[in-house]
Amino acid sequence: MTSPPSTAVSAAEVSRPAGKPDAPQPRAAAPWTPRRLATGLGTTALTLGTVLFVLPFVFTIVTSLRTAADVARSPLGIPHSFTLKNFTHAFSQIHYGTSTLNTLLITGLSCVLITVLGALAGYPLARITAGWSTAVYRLFILGTSIPVFVVVAPLYLLMRDLNLLDTYAGVVFIYTALNLPLAVFFYTSFIRQIPADLEEAAALDGCGALRTFFVVILPLLRPVTSTLLTFISLQIWNDLLVPLVFLQDPGKRTVMVNAYSFIDPHTVQPTTLFPAALLGVLPLLVIFIFFQRQMVAGMSAGAVK
Amino acid sequence: MFHRRRATMAAFLLPAIAMYALFILYPLFRGVYLSLTDSVGGPISHFVGMDQYTAMADDPQISAALWHTVLYAVVVVVVQNGLGLLFASMLFRREKVRKALSVVLLTPTLISPLMAAFIWSYLFAPNGGLNALLDGVGLGGLEHVWLGDPSTALYSVATVNIWMFTGYSCAIFLASYMSMPTELLEAAALDGASGWRRFRSIEWPLLAPALTVNVTLSLIGSLKVFEFPLVLTNGGPAGATDTLTLLVYRNIFGGGKFAYGVAIAVLLLVTVVVLSSATNSLLRLRERRV
Repeated sequence: MTSPPSTAVSAAEVSRPAGKPDAPQPRAAAPWTPRRLATGLGTTALTLGTVLFVLPFVFTIVTSLRTAADVARSPLGIPHSFTLKNFTHAFSQIHYGTSTLNTLLITGLSCVLITVLGALAGYPLARITAGWSTAVYRLFILGTSIPVFVVVAPLYLLMRDLNLLDTYAGVVFIYTALNLPLAVFFYTSFIRQIPADLEEAAALDGCGALRTFFVVILPLLRPVTSTLLTFISLQIWNDLLVPLVFLQDPGKRTVMVNAYSFIDPHTVQPTTLFPAALLGVLPLLVIFIFFQRQMVAGMSAGAVK
Repeated sequence: MFHRRRATMAAFLLPAIAMYALFILYPLFRGVYLSLTDSVGGPISHFVGMDQYTAMADDPQISAALWHTVLYAVVVVVVQNGLGLLFASMLFRREKVRKALSVVLLTPTLISPLMAAFIWSYLFAPNGGLNALLDGVGLGGLEHVWLGDPSTALYSVATVNIWMFTGYSCAIFLASYMSMPTELLEAAALDGASGWRRFRSIEWPLLAPALTVNVTLSLIGSLKVFEFPLVLTNGGPAGATDTLTLLVYRNIFGGGKFAYGVAIAVLLLVTVVVLSSATNSLLRLRERRV
C-alpha cells in the first residue's frame, strides 16, 4: 500500500531535532521531489504487479464457490450466490479422503527415510577427509541434476522385478533415492560448520561413533532438517509422475494422480476444476501458514552455496 | 581407537549408498544400455547398437521437441529471472512492504504444477478468464485462442511456469540483496550515484552468485518440464508444444516403443548436463571477473 507523503507528516519530520547526525539524507524534508515521487510510483507498480500474481488465486477461490450457471453467465462478474457443492462434488470425485491419506503416508515415510539416511551419510562425509570420501560426496552431488525421466523406464523394470510395483514401499524408495543427493548436500555442508571439539571430547570420554552421532550431532541438526523437510515434502506432495507410473492401484493413488485421472481440464467446467485444484493445495496452505518462516527459508535454500 | 571409530563412521554411509546405487545409479546405467537395444520392456531384447539414435536423427518429431524444449527453457530463464530481479530490487528499497509482498509472491510456488495447470487451462480457454478479462477492460481485440494457436501455445505454457516460479527467483535475489554490505550501499547513495549507476556498478556485481544459482535452477527445472505441457496442451496443437519429456513418457508408457523412449531420455540427460554445466561454468567465470 502506498500513500503520497502528506504535508503533515513531512512537517513533523522536519521539525524533529536532528538527533542522528550520521543518518542518510533526511529525504522526508523535501516532499514531492522527483525521487520521492518515483519511489511512490514504484511502490504502486510493485503492489499492482504482486496483485497480478495472486489474481489467478483469488479468481480460483471465488469461482470455486459459485454455481456453474452463475459462472457461465459472466465468468468475471460479481457472484450472485455462494455454494459449497462444488467442493463436496470434487471431494468425492478425486476420493479426497483416501488419496490424501495415501499422499500423507508416502510423503511422511519418504521424509523420514531421507532425513535419517541423509544425516547418517552426511556425518562421515563431513568428518572424514580421505580421497574416497570426496569421491562419494561428488557422486551424490551428481545426482542433483539427473532428471527422473532419465531413469523412469529402467526403474519401472527394476520395480517389476523386485515386486515393488503398486506398493507404497516402492514409491517411498524411489523418492528417497531421488532426494538423497540434496539431503547429503545439505547435511554435509551443515555438519562441516559444526566444530569438532564436542565430538573429540565425547570420544575421549569413551563414547562410540554411533552414540556420538545420536547424542552430540543429531540434536544440532534441527534447523537444517526443517529447511530440508519443507523443501522435499513440497516436492513429494506435489509430484505427479512417480505415483502415476508406479502406483496404479486405485486404492493407493495420491491426490495428484486422482486429480489427473478423473478430471479433464478441456471438457470440464471451472466449477469442477478449481475446487479440485484447491483441495490439492489445501493441506500445504495450512502447513504454510504455520511454518511460513521455515518454508521461505527452505525454498530459497538453493541460494545457500 | 580412532581407526575403529572411523570404520564405524564410514558404515553410516552404507544405507544411503545402497539406496542411491540401487534406485538411481543402476537404472541410469541400465537406461544407457537399454537405449542400445530393441527392448519393448519384456525379458527378450537384442543389442542393436546405435539404431535407436540413428532413427532419432531422422525423426522430425525429435528435432522439433528438442527445439521446443530449449526455446521454452530460454524464455522461462530470461523472463522469470528478469521479473524476479525487478521485484527483488524494488522490494529491497521498500522495507515496509518487503516481507509481505515477497511472501505473497511465493504462494504460487506452493501449489503443484498440476494444480497450476488446472487453473490456467481455464484462464487460457477460448471463453475463459483471460479473454473475458481482456474483453472487460476494452481490449477485446487482443482476445486469442492462447493454447490452440501453434504460434502462442508454447509461450502460453511458459507463462504458467513463469507465474509459478517468479517469486522463487525473487526470494533468492532478495536474500542476496539482504546480505550486501550496507556501508557500500550507503557510501554510493551519499556519493549521489543515480539509481541505475548504483544498480549497474555495485548491486549487479554483488548479485552474481545469486544469478548463477537462479539461472542454473530455472534452466534445469524448465528443461525437464512435464506437467504443464501434459495437462495444458498434451503436446498440441500439431506438436507445437511437444517437449522431450512428453515424448519420453508417450513412447515408454503409451507407444510400445520402449527402447526408443529410453534413447530420448538419454538425449534429455545429455541436453540437461551439457546446457547446465556450460551455463554454470560460464556464470562462475563471470563471477570471478565482476
